[in-house]
Amino acid sequence: MDILTQQLFNGLTIGSVYSLVALGLTLVYGILHIPNFAHGALYMLGAYVTLTMMLLWGIHYWIAMAVSVLVVGLLGVLMDRLVFHPLRHAPPIHDKIAAIGMLLFLEAFAQLIWGADYRTMETPYGQVIDIFGMTATTQRVLINIGAIAVMILLYLFLKKTYTGSTIIAMAQNREGAQLVGINTNRVAMLTFMISGGLAAIAASLSAPINLVFPGMGHLVILKAFVIIILGGMGSVPGAILGGYILGFTESLGATYISNDYKDIIAFLLLVVILSIKPKGLFSREGF
Amino acid sequence: MRILKLSALLLVMAALFVMAGCIDNNSTQTSSEGGSETQSEAPEVEEGEEVVNIGYSGPLSGPAAYYGERTLNGLTLAVEEINNNGGFEIDGQTYKYNLVSLDDKYLPNETAANAKRLLQENDTPIIFSPHSGGIKAMQVFNEQENFLIGAYTSEPAVTEAGNKLTVRIPPSYDGYLDPFTNYAMENHGKKMAALPTASQYGKDWTEALVPYWEEQGGEVVYNSSIDFSKDTDFFTLVTNALKENPDVLFIGGPSEPTAKVAKQARELGFEGGFIVMDQAKLDEMKSVTGSFEQLNGSIGVTPLTYSDYPGTDAFIEKYNEKYGEDPGSEAGYHYVAMNVFMEAMKAAGSVDDPEAIRAHMQDGLDALPEEKQVYTVDEIGENGGFSTALRLAAVENGEIVTIDVEE
Repeated sequence: MDILTQQLFNGLTIGSVYSLVALGLTLVYGILHIPNFAHGALYMLGAYVTLTMMLLWGIHYWIAMAVSVLVVGLLGVLMDRLVFHPLRHAPPIHDKIAAIGMLLFLEAFAQLIWGADYRTMETPYGQVIDIFGMTATTQRVLINIGAIAVMILLYLFLKKTYTGSTIIAMAQNREGAQLVGINTNRVAMLTFMISGGLAAIAASLSAPINLVFPGMGHLVILKAFVIIILGGMGSVPGAILGGYILGFTESLGATYISNDYKDIIAFLLLVVILSIKPKGLFSREGF
Repeated sequence: MRILKLSALLLVMAALFVMAGCIDNNSTQTSSEGGSETQSEAPEVEEGEEVVNIGYSGPLSGPAAYYGERTLNGLTLAVEEINNNGGFEIDGQTYKYNLVSLDDKYLPNETAANAKRLLQENDTPIIFSPHSGGIKAMQVFNEQENFLIGAYTSEPAVTEAGNKLTVRIPPSYDGYLDPFTNYAMENHGKKMAALPTASQYGKDWTEALVPYWEEQGGEVVYNSSIDFSKDTDFFTLVTNALKENPDVLFIGGPSEPTAKVAKQARELGFEGGFIVMDQAKLDEMKSVTGSFEQLNGSIGVTPLTYSDYPGTDAFIEKYNEKYGEDPGSEAGYHYVAMNVFMEAMKAAGSVDDPEAIRAHMQDGLDALPEEKQVYTVDEIGENGGFSTALRLAAVENGEIVTIDVEE
């Protein structure tokens, strides 16, 4: 019983990180209709920017994270303007190639600037705490609360605000959105901004429990792709649910079946869900 | 029109690939030099001097890039020092070294391709590689193509295969099994949980240690590997490993993620000791855990900065001056190996006959001046492995204590 609660908590933590990364990915998919392979690089840069702020200027963790959200968000916008926007009339394969190119470029760039070494991000929340007989650190609790808070805010933004609805409208029908007078360029930039910001939040929250290094994007990006396929490409609730499903499968699978097979279990689940619902859990176009 | 567009695209793609190649080269150069001057440029050669190319293929990008850079730094330091001292002389002919480094991203197939390229383009008599997979890939053809492998791995299988042109630089991990087991059993207990890294090296290490541990009357309560390139969080795994209340955790892999595993085990309430695989270094682990306190009860290899061979201090100073950080043993061993190869070339009277160089390795070891002995290597075994006296380190009461092992 003890181990079960502990593992449920572990699954929740890892699921929160996965969901946040997958959310950014799924938003951009809704707009561009291509998987943004460079999203993992944005995640990595998010962690580096936060870390640099904290080490170089001694800025507090939360402020550093806010700066990072802004910087990486703007980088996302820049990516849209410089790469994806000029390619909007090109066949989809060009976007994919461009995205992979961005990924390689950003990784090499990070290695050039920050070096290849592993770095640790020390936060003021390293204390070990005991909740209902399970062990956690404050940072882990923060990951869970932070992720859920961000998800609620995002949901409210998309459903309750005018700007949010334009994003949904554009994801549902690009031409239709243009016809009713939505500035699609502006919405695309906004989506990239949010997507980059989400990556930065996910990275800044999870970096203290792991390490910061140029290849860290690979840890999450492949899983994020699995999640958005599982949840339905472009679906926001799908990304959230998919993230937690994967997190729990990993932690419980590793405990009760075998750790060596935990990836197999996760992918088997993907196969099963896709055979029942071929378009993913939430297959509706848009959100 | 279509064909025109297509060919234009192909042209652009080709140009991109060429450019990507350039970027690749630049990054290897800068990484090998820590961003100062370019490295792969030929050394300054005066009239009558000749250049000998030395090959290196290791991970210079990706998750293992840090490790790769540190191995290359050791070689770079040795080569620069030799060249700045005017090179070396054989039969009145002066030679200088030129180090050519290629990135293999830790992938054995890339190492093999790099080795072929180094042979064809640079005619290198020696190729260094710091990972067992790449070394084994090169061993497939190194005897036919006639080049020496400078093998930086503690994997015993590399030399047991009987390859005549392989020199294994660090001691093989076979020697650690007995002292590690004894120390951990005496100080902590007989229940062990194994959480090694998921690389080939980690698996081989575990397969060697687990039977030995059980032979000595110990019990292995958990055994599963961690993939540092795939797992974002180790809490799940560590929780499972601690389920059976082990006395000792067997951990390993690159220093920093290994330290993270140790730290998370402490957070989850683990109070026993750690057996640390030789790839991870206690001093580098400290930079992640913050203090040695968290690593109390660990047994591992002695960090270079805590060693006291005749040339160690001078090397640490030189390394610090150039790279601004303390060297690890991988840099130290590469530095020693490069100098030994040079002495062996002198003894063999040849810079391009790998068999002769290999045959004179022992002379090279004997001729190595004391101030270059970052590690004292007594002899090279029949199978090509350097034998260095084993020195272990344990962490007790928040401090590193070195332990000598009798043969």
